[in-house]
Amino acid sequence: MPPRLTAATRLAALAAIALVLAWPFITDYYSYNASYYDGLVASAAIAAVLTISLNLAMGYGGMLSMMHTGLQLLGGYGTAYVAVRAGLPWEAGLALSVVLAAAFSALVLLISLRATYLYFGMITLAANLIVIEIGREWDAVTGGLNGVTGVASGLPARTFYYVVVALLAVAYVVQRNFVRSAAGRAAMAVRESPETASAMGIRPASAKLLVFTLAGGLAGLSGGLYALQLGFINPDVGLLDNGLIFFVGLFLGGIGTLLGPLLGVALIAVVVELGKDYAQYTTLILGVALLVAMMVIPRGIVGTWQASRFGRPRDAPSEPEEPDTEVPEGLPRVAAFDALALEARGIVKHFGGVHAVDGVDLTVRGASVHGIIGPNGSGKSTLVSCLTGFHHPDEGEVLVYGRAAPPQPWAVPDEGVTRVFQTPHLFERQSVLDNVLTGIRMPYGWIGAVLRLPRQRRHERAGRAFATDLLAFAGLAGRAQHAAGTLSHGQKRLLEVVRAVATRPRVLILDEPATGLVPAEIDALARLCRALRDRGLAVVLIEHNVEFVMSVCDEITVLETGKVIARGTPAEVRDDPAVLTAYLGRPDLVEKA
Amino acid sequence: MTAQAWIDGVFAGAVYALVALGLTIVFQPTRVMNFAQGEALILGSAVAYQVVSLSGLGWPAAIVVTLILAAAMGLLSERMIMLPVRMSGSRFAWIVATLAAALIFQSIFTLAYRDVDALRPPPLLAGGLTLAGTRVSYQLLLTVVVAALVMIAYDLFLRRSVYGRAIRAASHNPDTATLLGIPVRRIVVLSFVMAAVICAVAGLLAAPSLFIGPATGLLFTIKGFTAAVIGGVGSPRGALAGGLIVGVLDSVVRTEINATAGNLVVFGLLALILVVFPAGLFGKPMESH
Repeated sequence: MPPRLTAATRLAALAAIALVLAWPFITDYYSYNASYYDGLVASAAIAAVLTISLNLAMGYGGMLSMMHTGLQLLGGYGTAYVAVRAGLPWEAGLALSVVLAAAFSALVLLISLRATYLYFGMITLAANLIVIEIGREWDAVTGGLNGVTGVASGLPARTFYYVVVALLAVAYVVQRNFVRSAAGRAAMAVRESPETASAMGIRPASAKLLVFTLAGGLAGLSGGLYALQLGFINPDVGLLDNGLIFFVGLFLGGIGTLLGPLLGVALIAVVVELGKDYAQYTTLILGVALLVAMMVIPRGIVGTWQASRFGRPRDAPSEPEEPDTEVPEGLPRVAAFDALALEARGIVKHFGGVHAVDGVDLTVRGASVHGIIGPNGSGKSTLVSCLTGFHHPDEGEVLVYGRAAPPQPWAVPDEGVTRVFQTPHLFERQSVLDNVLTGIRMPYGWIGAVLRLPRQRRHERAGRAFATDLLAFAGLAGRAQHAAGTLSHGQKRLLEVVRAVATRPRVLILDEPATGLVPAEIDALARLCRALRDRGLAVVLIEHNVEFVMSVCDEITVLETGKVIARGTPAEVRDDPAVLTAYLGRPDLVEKA
Repeated sequence: MTAQAWIDGVFAGAVYALVALGLTIVFQPTRVMNFAQGEALILGSAVAYQVVSLSGLGWPAAIVVTLILAAAMGLLSERMIMLPVRMSGSRFAWIVATLAAALIFQSIFTLAYRDVDALRPPPLLAGGLTLAGTRVSYQLLLTVVVAALVMIAYDLFLRRSVYGRAIRAASHNPDTATLLGIPVRRIVVLSFVMAAVICAVAGLLAAPSLFIGPATGLLFTIKGFTAAVIGGVGSPRGALAGGLIVGVLDSVVRTEINATAGNLVVFGLLALILVVFPAGLFGKPMESH
């Protein structure tokens, strides 16, 4: 659930919308220079579209983009070419702008998929420079250094004002719907950690491509509108120097927030207008304002508000909650009870000279809890990584219900195998509920998300209900709206298990889930494991807490130095001399005691 | 392809190499790619123009003033960039802060030299010699020699001195370096000052021959950055090699075709190298943020 707006916030938003809609009439009434003031707001609205685009790429996608002014230039060329050179309607020009900029963004992203974060930013910088230089050079299309003039929509100024405002509303809604959809959550998951996102079944490359292309399309739209509003486009529009204002707007308003770009741009527009007699100092003032804002309100106006006493969700009851005893209806149910759920044959994984896993066979039946124990360094976690595609075994194969497991980590959850990492891998800045939702497969595409089609709303509702039930079952319902980073260590571990269950796995692999949990939390975890087993799931438990393992597991495999030394029921394993030797060194001493 | 283009290229390349060195010096301990680095170059040119051309006080005064102001600019940049970076916690803080700093300095220079097209003082060393039928001014030679000397000196400083070892340790892992008693904060400040002084000296020497306008700092940063990436961020020798490649390529294409094509080739090369050789051509990979 998005944070509920207070009555005051809602009133302020409505007043702002009314003001923008009535603006041409107000200026007409009070000023002889109405078109100037209308243009001021229209230009700010166009800048806001670009800032929203930047927010999608950087705030939600986590990708440094230094080519947004270049995308604006590209969009401007698209519209200018169609409207002036080809003599076609300007609407077609805007469409071309969007397509051009989106395609260019997609291209840049695709050629730099391997690049690390910093390098990606630098590639976008190079792309920006290249767009500008091509614009300067390609006289026939771009008009060279002078650019294209006489770009016009032919609409009366006031009508065009409303066109711009309407398109800004569209851009905002696209941003909001995207962010609140499965595609948006996937992009944010990849931003926080591509590895964790993969474990949730999210393909990082696809998520990045989608958000960056969408951002590119919006930037192109902004460029097309810019050309129509000002009547010209030239290569200087693309210069990085002009990009500062968008960065200021984004950081002042609040990066990674829905309203931040709008507020930031509005604020800048007001400041620039008030100081227009000292226009030569504008850059100086903006630069200083940006640096000060980064120090004083690092999360921007909106982010600071949300973290403050007024914007935060109500505090949960401090009493530990009584977990819901009812097993959630949406919990996955696996029909094939007796089948072999997970099978590993002869897994070998060497790191240089270290034989981390050395020929391990593992069979996990459906509807069972299977423990894997072993001393530190016995290869448990490496085995899990081999099972889930995070490592590629040097030898051996992994079968999931008789089918070979896919090699890419993000494809493994689609086969029904989900893992939980040994150390907490939560999306700390997102709410507890959103963390769980990230795990839920939503069978709708990004178009459905952006348009908020009925099918998408139905799945979102069902997903939220399922996530809420799961949280209640784990005793975390009261924390649903809090940022995941604010939970205690034990709650984080439980939340991770809940999030993994939300992917509706057939096989769930938990890597040391009980470490650092208090007894009540261990109980909740054991209850969850048994509930899942009763539903026919296979649960693989890697654990050091022997008491917990012995009480929950149906079968146990014991590893030492990368080899299986024992397997069987908890009672069998407990008395196995090899196990006692591995753990205690001298079994004879144990038997005497 | 004329010899003149090559000579101009080597000269411009020496300047880019010094900017690349400045970027490297700051990047190593801070992991910040300082987009305000080129502004120090403009400072050097502006001081030379102001002191020599306008005030007529001569080159010794210009050199002294440049060194003092550049050190001050380094200290100021460190505060302007590192404070927001430390306090903001955003992964984009470095780029936004350095870009803001760059544009703040740029607007100060533009305000101070509103009607000045190029900051061009008379040469420090007049005259020149004729080399294989091409005239080479002493100023060009001086710039290239100084650039080479600075590179060698910094390389030796980094490898041979205690302070250099501390810098290398701090750039590997600031936290461990702090635990070992290395004053990482002081090293960061020192890096900003050294980088600013080196770039300002480059500006001072290049101003008589190269086109340096009050608002061209960002362009020099980007060319220097290209050089640093080609050479592999982190090594002074790489910076020198990268600078020469960028300078010569730019100058030759510029002469053969036109100015835009020169930029296009250089930026295209930058994109290509970033995509194909993420480690640069001569250096270690730039660690990810």
